Amino acid sequence: MKTTGNLIEKIYYDDDIVKKFILATLIWAGAAFLFGLLAALQLAYWPLNANMEWITFGRLRPLHTNAAIFAFAGNAIFAGIYHSSQRLLKARMFSDLLSKMHFWGWQLIILSAAITLPLGYSQSKEYAELEWPIDIAITVVWVIFALNFFMTIRKRREKHMYVAIWFYIATIITVAVLHIINSIEIPVSLFKSYPVYAGIQDAMVQWWYGHNAVAFFLTTPFLGLMYYYVPKAANRPVYSYRLSIVHFWALVFIYIWAGPHHLLYTSLPEWAQTLGMIFSIMLWAPSWGGMINGLLTLKGSWHLLRTEPLIKFFVAALTFYGMSTFEGPLLSIKSVSALGHYTDWIIGHVHSGALGWNGFLTFGMIYYLVPRLWKTELYSKKLLENHFWIGLTGVLLYYISMVVAGITQGLMWRAVDADGSLTYPDFIETVVRIVPLYWVRAVGGFLFLTGFLMMCYNVFKTIQKAPKTVEAKEVLVERTGFDEVTKETHRKLEGMGMVFSVLAFLAIAVGSVIEIYPTLSLHKYVSPNNIVDPYTPLELAGRDIYIKEGCYVCHSQQIRPIASEVLRYGNASTVEESMYDRPFQWGSKRTGPDLARLGKKYPNLWHYSHMMDPRAVTPKSIMPNYPWLAEKDTDFLVLRKKLSVMSELGVPYEQDVIANADIHAQKQAQEIAADLESNGAPKGLAKKEIIALIAYLQSLGQKGKVQ
Amino acid sequence: MKQEGLKFFTDTHLTALGLLIFFLFFIGVLLWVYRKSSSTLYTKMEQMPLKDGE
Repeated sequence: MKTTGNLIEKIYYDDDIVKKFILATLIWAGAAFLFGLLAALQLAYWPLNANMEWITFGRLRPLHTNAAIFAFAGNAIFAGIYHSSQRLLKARMFSDLLSKMHFWGWQLIILSAAITLPLGYSQSKEYAELEWPIDIAITVVWVIFALNFFMTIRKRREKHMYVAIWFYIATIITVAVLHIINSIEIPVSLFKSYPVYAGIQDAMVQWWYGHNAVAFFLTTPFLGLMYYYVPKAANRPVYSYRLSIVHFWALVFIYIWAGPHHLLYTSLPEWAQTLGMIFSIMLWAPSWGGMINGLLTLKGSWHLLRTEPLIKFFVAALTFYGMSTFEGPLLSIKSVSALGHYTDWIIGHVHSGALGWNGFLTFGMIYYLVPRLWKTELYSKKLLENHFWIGLTGVLLYYISMVVAGITQGLMWRAVDADGSLTYPDFIETVVRIVPLYWVRAVGGFLFLTGFLMMCYNVFKTIQKAPKTVEAKEVLVERTGFDEVTKETHRKLEGMGMVFSVLAFLAIAVGSVIEIYPTLSLHKYVSPNNIVDPYTPLELAGRDIYIKEGCYVCHSQQIRPIASEVLRYGNASTVEESMYDRPFQWGSKRTGPDLARLGKKYPNLWHYSHMMDPRAVTPKSIMPNYPWLAEKDTDFLVLRKKLSVMSELGVPYEQDVIANADIHAQKQAQEIAADLESNGAPKGLAKKEIIALIAYLQSLGQKGKVQ
Repeated sequence: MKQEGLKFFTDTHLTALGLLIFFLFFIGVLLWVYRKSSSTLYTKMEQMPLKDGE
């Protein structure tokens, strides 16, 4: 780029788009927190789904997580990025039109998620549940955002890119890569698709995505915001700029490898599990480097906590970041994971990050931005103080209750008597024990929501008292950094957006390729003697109902090779058992027991009674009733299409079965319905969804030649 | 069976290569970041959020 000398220009920042994203953040945060509270209450008291399928836990939980991550955190990130980037780059956003398309496109995506998830349109891949048309929309809107952002970098007036901009670049590139690779799926109908990956491949790709959604959607962008807003609020530069550079490269380089720690002790190949664990432990260093850098920025300014109470939110956010990035690697150690995985400990861990780190950093940022953008003072600092303390109490109650619940249940699951049998053989015993803690968690969530509502009121009153018409303020900027003559490589790198972006991409590509590429050669891990039979057409229909109702949210299908687990559920799961599973259903939480070997364990009537009223067969169960499964008809005709897509993906179905899938399914349905009828269940169930679901549940663990 | 994964993972040089790339990269970043001559630049860079006229 050529220098233009020290010409001073008058420009206007686009703060209108920042205001829009802030208001959207507040609206969707309210929805996300409310869904979370309702979900928490349902676990404490199951009838709170009001017998409505749309807000039953299995469908509500994905709605809550998607709203929290993509609607609340997403809009907050965009608000902060649009605000800080313009100032750091000394340039208005490249295109107001692209900014608006990004804003409205993203809100439409959220709206479509809020409609489709309660209806049960879900791919069941955690944080990637949305069906294929919405996946495409996400890609388009993300490209619009990227184009707008990178073109702003291109036309910037400040040649050197501040470290916050690096974190934004890494976010935009990596999220694009993660979303596209994890969303490769073949559509069956407008709202149904099957992923191209199966079993361990799908598990590997999904958790590579899932963990990096945490890393590159909930961590790197927020670190960028932290590196901008903490110095701004404290009016001091970051503690160590050098440390921030090491922090950035180490973090993006290491984070991408950590995904397999979600799959420890599963049938994922051991080498991938070990890699995931080791890289997770390495994350301790850069994470804490970043946290210390943020906290020490306030060194010598702690008195500001009295005069500028919003800084409290930043201090608490960084402390929670430190705590959860300490706990994450800890939980990734295989022996700790053996205890903590599938329990509420993980839920506590996630919420100390989401509520404490993402939530409080966002709140601090909003308290900082609102008075400045609306050109007025904050309505009440007292309310802000109260929000902070009530919110903090809420997070702590949430976190502590869930860690205690998780460790308690984990220890009960593994408890073995002197004679070698399980101390708590009935799973429900371990559930009943922690229900009181579910109430404590709900109180924590309620307090967090209360604090948030106080913020909404504060923001509303602040905007209300703001001057109604404020003319956009011009800013005087000059091009800087372009005329420096230097041979220093770092200056060159920071001055070259394109080269920098390519390097950031390479940093995340190394880990991704090394972990995913070998896993894609599934055939190497499958033993020909153990190959399983594919699902029958009816079982496949039932499997899709299992996915639609979100059963995977509370039930895993993966028995770990741990003695107490084999005692409770049967032989450890094998690679072959899920080789045709699209998507895989290994799950990540056991609110109820593992189902990998459920098939043939109970008669059909048990399943029917259990789905109609779980307490009829398991007293004190906290699972909701599913009466609508006995009312809704199974879509038999679509099975031909489903089987043919499966066949295209390599599942060995015979042509006759594909062509007559509906007839095959109806025949099997008649058999199950007749069995139910002869045992006292109502007549005429053959066409109902419950029959397909029972067929699937009875097939679990029954497909392999070696059990 | 899954422990046998490594038996099929014949690309062992990838492991060594990965380690090498990582380690050299890390050392490189450290050397690059802590060059004495870069102090002036970092003093300037760290001021960027504070000098946007607001």
